[in-house]
Order: sequence, then structure tokens, then C-alpha cells
Amino acid sequence: MFGYTYDAENKWHRFGKLILVTAVSLTTLVYIWWILAIIIDTPAVPTPDLVWAAFNKLFAEGDIQTGLSMWEHMFASLKRFIGGFVLAFVIAVPLGLLIGYSKFLDEFTRPMIEFLKPIAPIAWAPVFIFATTLTLGPILVVFVGIFFPLLYNTIFGVKKIDPNLIDAARTLGANNGQVFYKVMLPCTTPFIMNGMRIGFGIGWMCIVAAEMIAPLGGGLGYFISLQSVLSNWPYVFVGLGVISVLGILTTGLVDYAYRTIAKRMGME
Amino acid sequence: MSYIELNNIRKVFRKDDRETLAIDNISLSVDKEELVSILGPSGCGKTTILRMIAGLTDPTSGEVLVDGETVDGPGSDRGMVFQDFALFPWRSVRKNVEFGLEVKGISKKDITERVDRYLNLVGLENFADARVHELSGGMKQRVGIARAMVNGPKVVLMDEPFGALDAQTRNIMQAGLIRILEKTDQTIVFVTHSVDEALYLSDRIVILTKRPAKIKEIIEIPWPRPRDRASPEFTALRKRILTELEKENVMN
Repeated sequence: MFGYTYDAENKWHRFGKLILVTAVSLTTLVYIWWILAIIIDTPAVPTPDLVWAAFNKLFAEGDIQTGLSMWEHMFASLKRFIGGFVLAFVIAVPLGLLIGYSKFLDEFTRPMIEFLKPIAPIAWAPVFIFATTLTLGPILVVFVGIFFPLLYNTIFGVKKIDPNLIDAARTLGANNGQVFYKVMLPCTTPFIMNGMRIGFGIGWMCIVAAEMIAPLGGGLGYFISLQSVLSNWPYVFVGLGVISVLGILTTGLVDYAYRTIAKRMGME
Repeated sequence: MSYIELNNIRKVFRKDDRETLAIDNISLSVDKEELVSILGPSGCGKTTILRMIAGLTDPTSGEVLVDGETVDGPGSDRGMVFQDFALFPWRSVRKNVEFGLEVKGISKKDITERVDRYLNLVGLENFADARVHELSGGMKQRVGIARAMVNGPKVVLMDEPFGALDAQTRNIMQAGLIRILEKTDQTIVFVTHSVDEALYLSDRIVILTKRPAKIKEIIEIPWPRPRDRASPEFTALRKRILTELEKENVMN
């Protein structure tokens, strides 16, 4: 039709198609939103043009209430997110390796984990904020959100280690420590990465929710809750968009790392 | 002089309240630089015997001696080649072969030299930096053999090493193993369920009974290598062994 045929084996054709489909898809979303906003006709659902104007203003100047630009809100949320993640990582990974390794620890901790796991992380927010501080509380909520998927996947990863690989290492002269560092740890790495991939998605939802409850020092959740109280709906929508984009970036990063490692290990 | 010695080995597996006698009083000695095959019906305990020499499984009673020392746990003096290769997928070919030297703490330069030599020996010098999942089955097992031999073990224990390969690759690998043996004089204990393979490779063949495994017969193969699989004495002996094994068929 256009003197151009799509070739599925061509990397650039595939890339071009992806870009085109994505652009059309997102444009469609904007139009659906626009039509809905006109039909519903409430200030709580502003039209895209109002949100675009708010977007430009927020990134350039910021809001009057907090005096922070959108960049600063983003960094405030990211900082808490990373804090919760690091905390979860340094505790869940070593603990998961131990539990996966020891049958006794596995049996002993399983009831505790099963009991605590169904509690939505955000349900802890009031407890954490009251027990610690407004700064530490939200970080702990993220910690809980990331902790369980990371722990679960690490335990699962240790159990999935091919016993032949451990036997091979031992017949090659590896002692217990070397078996741990040179066989068990690398074997478990893709599973740890998978736990991070799931944990990042949950953790990102947790931080926004926790910030709505713990208003201090900015952050996207705080920004949204404040602006909705003030009925600055275009601002709220900018906040929603930023949450989405940052969520895609954070999970996309760990997803990329996971796939790179899995590919190196021939898992795909 | 016997280099590897199995003295009155018994192995009992216990599961819940059931005890199964897997190996019933086996004694065997293997000389230095000898290639001994263990042949027997599937599930008879061939692999268990190999794992006991490796130190990965303890005998219920009896003892295993290698070069005069009692086996107590695994060690790099007894290399092992696995049926499913058991290569480390996150390591390149070179890094897989390096493993044993690396855990011994040998200097980087000496490691590279030794690894190069063994990669050459198995014909993988051009695949040193390849990843394991990029290799064919035959190439994977050549990595497995190089990895086991680079440590300079007293014995290499091969657990159906070519069992996962297609018939043609198997023959190529067997011929390759013989070429390696011409250069290294390695002592090998080889577990297989292929009569043809045992006859082609071994100095002696140990035939086991069905479970509980006892030694049924030990056959010396005096012919020089490489051997002609189509020669009358080869086919005659193969037929005789197959008849013997048929009597041990677990289906009967």
C-alpha cells in the first residue's frame, strides 16, 4: 500500500512497529480520557489540555503550597523507595539463602511467613509511622512490600539448585564456603532478580500510598493528597502521570537486568 | 598393585520404614592407568558405586580406598563426569574448566596455561569464551571431561557420560576419549549401560547383577585400541555379554 512491506525478521522494522503501536495506543488513551472528561463533566477529571499546562508549570516552578518542584517530589519519593528496597535486600536475600539451605529453618519460619504475607503492606503504615517517625515509616512500608516477594523467590531459588552442580563443585575440590559463593549464590541470582522485579512493582505502589498517610518532606503521594484536598485536579493528574512513568522506569530497569542475567545463564 | 579398592561394600537405602539393599558385598580393585567399565541393568546401583568412590555417598558398610587412602568425602583427586554434564551455566567454557584450579587458589597465570592445554586436548580451544548453552551436547561433555581432568586427579569417574548424546556423537566421543587416553594415561572408572561402549573402551568390564547388585562377572578385554566394532571377536563377545545381561533383565 505504501510501497513498504513489514519484515518481522528485521530488527529495525520490529522497533519501528513497536514505536508506532505504542504511540497510537497512548494517543488513543488520551482521546478516551478527553471524551470521558467532557461526558463526566466534573472538575475532578480535567481535560488533557489543562493537565498539560499544569505539567509545564509544576516542572518549571513547582506548587505554591510546598514550594517544591515536581522534580523534588519525585526525588523525595525515589529516595524513600530506594531506602526501603536496600533495607529489604540486605535482610531478605541472606535470610532467604539461609532458609532455603536449612530444612529446619524452612519449617520453622514457614508459619510466620505465611501468617504475615497476606497483610497488605500499606495496612502497616499507621503502625510504622506511629512507632517510628514520619520519615522512617513510609520507608518501612516499602520494605515490607519488597521483603516478601524477595524472600520467597530467594528461598525458591535455593531449592531449585540442581544438586548435580553442587556435587560437581565438591568433586572439583570446593569446600562448603566455596560451594556457597561459587555455586549456590550464582544459581540463585536469577530468582533473586525475579523477586526484585515483583517487589519493585509492589514497593512503588507502597511508597505512594504511604506518603498519602505520612505528609512530610514532599513526595508524590503527599503531593496528590494535598492537591486533591485543595481541588487542584490538573495537578493531581500530573502526579498520577509521573507515578506511572517512574514506575515503568524502576521496574523496567530491574526487568532488563533480570533478562540479561537469565539470558547469560541460558534460561531463555 | 591395586590403585582403587572396594572392600566388601554394602549399601542400604532407607525410606520411611522400608530398607532396600542396593549393593550387596562388592569387592573390586582397579589398577593404575586402567579403564574399568561397570555394566549392569538399569537401576542396579552402578552410579551408587561411582558416587561412593567420589565420596558423594557413604557405603553402609565396607570401605573404599584410593591410592591407599580411605575415601571420606569428595575431593579433587577424584574427578567426576556427569551424564547431564552438570556444567555451571553462568560461566564460560574456560571458566568452567578453571573451576577446580580456582578453588585451589592457583595463580591466574598457571591456571590459564593449564586450562589452555586441556581445552586443546578436548578440541575446544576455539570455544573457550563460548557460553555453555551455546554448545552442542557433545561439546558440553568435552567441557565436562576437561573440567574433571584439569585438576590432575588420580581417577576420573564417568557416570554414563555419553548417555545423553545421540548414537553418532557417542561414537565420536568414544574415539575422542581414546585419543585423550593415549596422551594422559588417566585411570578411569566408567559407568555405562551400553555393551558396545564398554567393549570399545575398557581394559576390563565388570558386569553387575540386578538389584541388589553383586559382581556377576569380570571380563578382561586384551585387544589394543582403537578397536574394530565389526570384528568377529568383538561381535561374539558383545553377543555373549548381552545374553548374560538378558538374564538380569528386571522385567523378567
